[in-house]
Formats: sequence, structure tokens, C-alpha cells
Amino acid sequence: MTIPSFHLFVQTLILGVLVGGVYALMASGLTLIFGVMRVINVAHGAFLILGAYITYVLFQNFQIDPIASILITIPIFFVIGWLLQRYMLSRIANPEQTSVLVTFALALVMEGLLGIIFQTTARSVTPSYTSAALMFATYRFPVTRLMGFGIALLIILLLYLILQYTNLGRAIRATTQDPRAAQLMGINTSMISAFTFALGVATAAAGGALLSIIYSFNPSSQSDWIARTLSIIVLGGLGSIPGALIAALILGVMEQMTAIVVTLYWSPIVFYFFLFITLIIRPQGLMGEIIREKG
Amino acid sequence: MLLTQNITKSFGGIKAVDTCSIKVERGLITGLIGPNGSGKTTLFNMITGLYKPDSGQINLKGNPIQGLKPSQVYHRGVGRTFQITRLFWKMTVLENMIVPVREIGWRTLLSRGVKKYEEERAMELLEWIGLSKYRDEEVRKLSFGQQKLIEFASVLMSDPDLILLDEPAGGVNPVMIEKMMDMVDDLNSKGKTFLLVEHNMRLVMELCQHIIVLDHGQKIAEGIPSEIQNNPLVLEAYLGSTQNANATA
Amino acid sequence: MTKLRIPASVWIAGLLAILVVYPFITNSQYQQHIMVMTLMAAITASSWNIIGGYTGYTSLGHAAFFGLGGYLVAWTHNHYGWHPFISAWFLAILVAVFACAMGWVALRTQGSAFVVVTIAGVFILRLLALNLSDITNGARGLTQPRPGWGGVPWSPELIKIPFHYIMLVLLCLTIFVSWRIRQSKFGMGLIAIREDEGKAESVGIDTMMYKVLAFGISSYFVAVAGGIYSYFFTFIDPSFVFGIFTSVTMVLMAILGGRGTLWGPVLGAFIMQPLSDWIIGEFGGTQIHLTVFGGILLLVMLFMPNGILPTLTEFLDRRTKARKASADSNPA
Repeated sequence: MTIPSFHLFVQTLILGVLVGGVYALMASGLTLIFGVMRVINVAHGAFLILGAYITYVLFQNFQIDPIASILITIPIFFVIGWLLQRYMLSRIANPEQTSVLVTFALALVMEGLLGIIFQTTARSVTPSYTSAALMFATYRFPVTRLMGFGIALLIILLLYLILQYTNLGRAIRATTQDPRAAQLMGINTSMISAFTFALGVATAAAGGALLSIIYSFNPSSQSDWIARTLSIIVLGGLGSIPGALIAALILGVMEQMTAIVVTLYWSPIVFYFFLFITLIIRPQGLMGEIIREKG
Repeated sequence: MLLTQNITKSFGGIKAVDTCSIKVERGLITGLIGPNGSGKTTLFNMITGLYKPDSGQINLKGNPIQGLKPSQVYHRGVGRTFQITRLFWKMTVLENMIVPVREIGWRTLLSRGVKKYEEERAMELLEWIGLSKYRDEEVRKLSFGQQKLIEFASVLMSDPDLILLDEPAGGVNPVMIEKMMDMVDDLNSKGKTFLLVEHNMRLVMELCQHIIVLDHGQKIAEGIPSEIQNNPLVLEAYLGSTQNANATA
Repeated sequence: MTKLRIPASVWIAGLLAILVVYPFITNSQYQQHIMVMTLMAAITASSWNIIGGYTGYTSLGHAAFFGLGGYLVAWTHNHYGWHPFISAWFLAILVAVFACAMGWVALRTQGSAFVVVTIAGVFILRLLALNLSDITNGARGLTQPRPGWGGVPWSPELIKIPFHYIMLVLLCLTIFVSWRIRQSKFGMGLIAIREDEGKAESVGIDTMMYKVLAFGISSYFVAVAGGIYSYFFTFIDPSFVFGIFTSVTMVLMAILGGRGTLWGPVLGAFIMQPLSDWIIGEFGGTQIHLTVFGGILLLVMLFMPNGILPTLTEFLDRRTKARKASADSNPA
């Protein structure tokens, strides 16, 4: 255990917050899907990695900047998500039980295919600004993380605006709170489900692009990332996007701290630890509702 | 038998049950009535352990039971049916009768198959309700009224002292209602205590010896049927909403 | 109920007889090896079935128990000289206790959240195995001496045979326990929990205790299998045993064959394990493997979620009913 100096402590805090923002983006799609469909899309990690790989391909072969490529990948992923929900997930008999296995199977298929196409070599996307950093008050702000944080917050803000101020967003929130009531009020819940799932997968496109410039990845990384995002949404409260944001920041900071204070290799345990602690002490997470049983 | 003291339960800012104190006398059939949303089912759910009251106490036979798990409340002699009939749909009638736990103990848990006396008792009850020939049918294949009867009978397997019935007559044809009323009377004469939630006023007035009225989560009246029928507060609670509607029309 | 023309007990006796003489009717080491792995797969799938099938809680974390069994056996063998064929049975009890503790936390969640928690459990153990390298030797894994008895290694031609029999014994035990559970009030309670947990609780079933017990029992046989496995391969490392893939394999086999049935998992194992070995043989590597397994799981979940046995019995039931109906309406 090394006790960090004050400077190192603040530096780590900064890095934690920056990376926490990116985690928040990754988790927001997952928690949104759960809120509306009561389904945990276990393939979310695989979509993140798929996004990372597509960003990689666009960068390597067409020199498209990873951040710019988000504009390309988001619509593609939206369509993929829509089709998946509309034609596969909606066919499932009792979604709350079986969707986990179905999405898990999907994740496996994706991991396998990515492995066949790209092999298991670790990749990362290295644009010109990969090692660049801004210095401010003797603290280092890596450009990749800064951009990641900025884009992440931008997209989360966009998501928030959509949910709060558009009719579609209102319909989504209504369905989250009470699907039956929403239906009775004329909301086409199956379309809302498809839209929400598509939206969730689309955020994975952005999340994956940011992932690619900050971390290295290979097909099997998808399981690490689904574990992280799941821990975040459980801590934040299943279905709550603000909760996911707060949880992501907390976990991002704690992860970086653990890497410094203990070792890098132990840092993933922060996520699992919080997952279990949350379930023991406060299962509804920071901002979730207690899922009540119908009496 | 059962006593609730100032129990309150809120869901997200709305008080479903508000400082409610009711008493259910041993050996009586007590009715719990009130307009929709008055908190009757929430009260039931607190008694059976599904919800924990935010404040207040619930005493069963003198012992506090608030906060206990439903299975624990069950083992203290409470049985309950659900407003929307709840059975193990893919199991047979007999299996539905056997599943309720009668004794706790390792030997009974590990016992092989259906113990003879459990099956006997189950068949007795099935005979009593007249459905013994359906013993090996999956319950989902039976009619709605038959399912309600089975739910009722399965509750009796553990020989509970207090039986809570949540809208037993809901959606049931008049002949079946008569049959159920006879059964409740029969059991009551053998010493069973009943607390039932019902909207069917005729049933309540005929069957219940004591009635408690809830409105907006609070007890507004209680007494014998004739008193309740003529109680202006009760009438207002039920009709008040229509009066308001007429006023604004 | 479909009445088979040949009663079930005859089928079982026949299968058992074949399995007992199997090592002697096939002389190929390779085939003996595959059979050992198949038996092991059947054990893990049937064991999983107790929590995943009867109780309806899909655990994707059972690899944790497999790995724990393996590591405990390997470590005690290397440090105390305990022979795995004996120690596995006892060390698995420790694993079961651990499983009960883990279950006590994990089983507070339901449905999808539960699956997630079990996945996290496997990840934690993998992390621990990788990082606590003083005990576990990290990524390099633990090796054991060549299989043998009393210091004398078994001859290479016969080496698979003891493993075949111990796995067979373990499988019989697993099936026996699974059968007894199914017949008992405990088993009925588990199924009730699967069908309607709230209702089960309201008829006196202490659902938490039942679930924890089922979880613990389901971990025991998996742990024993893991222990024997580590000896069979004389090597164990974190990435395989604490891998999600190992968990998924158990689950897929049980579901394919028929989750919640007694023999479904065994059937699923006997189908998937040889298939899996063939794929590795032909195409090598885990990537195709993942796609194929994922694909099969996907197809099963979408089109035949009850698995082979229930779908088959339902089909046969309908045919006998149809035949009866037409026979009734056409008195000869």
C-alpha cells in the first residue's frame, strides 16, 4: 500500500472524474434499457467492444478521427438496436427471465465473431493526441480523457434533454414508471421499447469509441466492461440515469485510487465490491426505487 | 386475535394507510370495506408481512408481527387469499394443495413425495369443496370459480386460526358465492376467525358479524352491519365522490 | 404422462451398464478421455439444475465453485499430499459452505440482476486467483503430480480409467440427490419458488432458506468435479476455471436437454460435450467455440426454451391424445 502525496491524490481524483464521465455514458444506455423494459442487456459490453472495433477499423483504414466517427457509428448502432429489439427480443415469451440468457448468448456470439475477424490481439486507437495532455495548475489532463469526459457529458446531456423535453422522452419516462398505465394512455409501448433499446445500443457506439482511445481492448474485454457497467447501474439504482452518473463518478475515482494505493491489478475489484455491498446494504442503489412485490 | 395500532404506510408520498387501528375479534367474521383506494389491500399486505408498516404495531394473539416475513406470519396461523387468484398454475390441483407447508422440520422437508396424511388431508378438503375428481388436473385448465375455491381450500391446509380473504366474491357467479358463504359460516362455527375485504355489500352484510370501514387509509366507522348501513359517514365515503362529480358537472 | 413402451428403469439400467463397461469396450484413450469429460459435464449440468432448473434462478457463476474445488484440491495435494480422489469430496463441503454465504447475498436479487451478480462472483474469484499468486501461483496456475496412488503413478494406457469410474460414481450420486430433491417437499417448494415466489412465501415457504440451500447443494457436486478435473489435467489456471464460458457450458447443457427435468441436463451434456470436443478438434481455439455455443444458446432460448425433453414429451403427449381422440371417434 502506498499512501499518495497530496498532488498525486488530486491528480488521481482528476483522472477518476474524467474517466468516470466516460463510464457514466457507458452505463446510461444500460440503465435506460432496464428502466423501460426491465431487462438487463448483458450484451451491452459486447456492443461497447464492437463500437471500439468499428472505431478502430474506421481509424486504421480511413483515418477517421475516433471522436468524429461517433457521428457514423451512432446511427448504425441505433438501427441495429432497433432491429434486434423489434425482431428478436420482442419475440421472447417472458422477457424478464429469459432475456438475460438471450442477450448473454448474443454477447457470446459477438465475442466469438469479433475474435474470428480480429483475433485476440489487444488493440487500441491511437490518434495524434493519444499522449498529449493539458497542464493546469501542475496537474495533468490527458487529452483523450478530457475529450472522453466532454463527449460523454454532452451525450448524457442530450439524452437528458430528449427524455425531459420531447414527447418521445416523456413517453419513455411514462413507460418506465408504469407500462400498463402508459399503454392505457395510448403510448405504443412496443415501439417505445424498440426505440429505447436502440437508444441504449447507440450510446454504446459512443461509449465504445471513447473506450478505444483510452483503453486497449480485445474481444474478451466485453465481459470486463459488462461487469463494470452493471456494477455502476446497480450502485446508481437500476433505471436511474442520474444515479448512474453519480455512481460512475464514484467508481471511477475509487478505481483510480485503488490503482495508485494498492496496485493496478486489484482495481477492478472496486466494481465488484460495490456491487455486493450495494446488494447487501441498499439493494435499490443510490437512486433507484425499491422493487416491490405485487402483494 | 388481531390488533393493529396506528399503523401507517406511505408509498412515495401518498399515505395508503394512515394511523389505522383496527381490532379483529377471535371467532368472528369481520368485514373490511371502503371505497377503492381506501387502503384495504395495503392493510392486508401489512398484516401478512408483505409490507412493513412505516410506523405502528400489529399484534397477533398478543405478539407483535409487524416486519415479519410472510412465511413467518403464515406459521403463526394466518392464511390468506389474493384479490387476483394466485395459484401455481402449472401444478395440479393436488400439488397446489400439498405445497403449503404444514410442519417445519428437516424430516418433513426431505420426506419422499407426498406424505400419506398430507394427501389424505388434501383430499378431505377437496371433497369438501367438491373438486376431488380434478385432483390431477393442472389448475390452469379449471374454471375461474373452481380456481378460487382451490385457492381457498389450499389456505386451509395449514389449519390457520385467522383467515384473510381478499375479495373472495370478485367475479364469481351467485351460486358459487352462496357456496363460499356457507363454507365460511361452517368454518366460523368451528372457531375460525375471518377478516375479509369485499365490495359485494349483500355478502358483507349477511356474512359479517362486525364491519370496519376504511376511507383514504383511515378507519371511519365500525360496528355491526345494521349500524354501518345507516352510518352517514360511510354513505358519504362511498357516494361522496359521485356527489362531487355531480356538483362540478 | 406419456407411457414409454419400455419403462424408464430399464433405460437407466441399460445406460448404466454401458457406462460401467465403457472403458473396456473402447480401447481408444481419446474416447475414454471424451467420456470422462462428458460425465463431468453431465455432473455439473445436473448439479446446476438444482438451482437453475428446479428453483428457476439462472446462475452463471457456478464456474466459481468448479474452480474453487479445483484449486483447493490442487493446493492440498501439493502441500499436504492429500489424494484428490478422497480430498475432493470433503473440500467440496467447504465450497458448499462458501456457496451458501455467497447465495445469502446474491439470492436477494431476482431475475436478471441475479445472473449479473453470479457473473460478478466468478470475476471476483478470477481476480483473486490471478492476484493472490503466493497461494495460487497467479496466471501460471497450479500443477499436480502425475495421477497415481500411494506415490506410484498409473500407467499411461490405463490412466483414464480410474477417472472414468470416479466420475461415474459422482454422476450417480448427483442424479440420486437431484431425484430425491425432486420427489421431496423441499423440491416442491423449490418449484413453487420458481413458479411464483411471492405466493410460495405466503404459503409458508421460507424462500430465502430454500434458495440458499439449493444453491449450496448445487455447488457441491460441481466442486467435487472441479477437484477431480484439476487432477485429471494435472493443471489448473484461473482463466479456464474461473471463466464465464465454463459457467455457460453447464447452463447451456442443462437448458438444451431440459431445465428442471431430472435427465435433461444429462442429455444436454451427452450432446454438447462431444460436439464441443469435435469443434476444438476440427477448428481449434475458443473463438469459434464461443460463437457456436452462443448461437446454440440463442436458438434454444428463442425457439425451444424448455429444452429437448419437455418439448419431446409434450409432442408425444399431443400425438397420443390425438390418436386417442380419433380412436374414440372411430370405434372400430
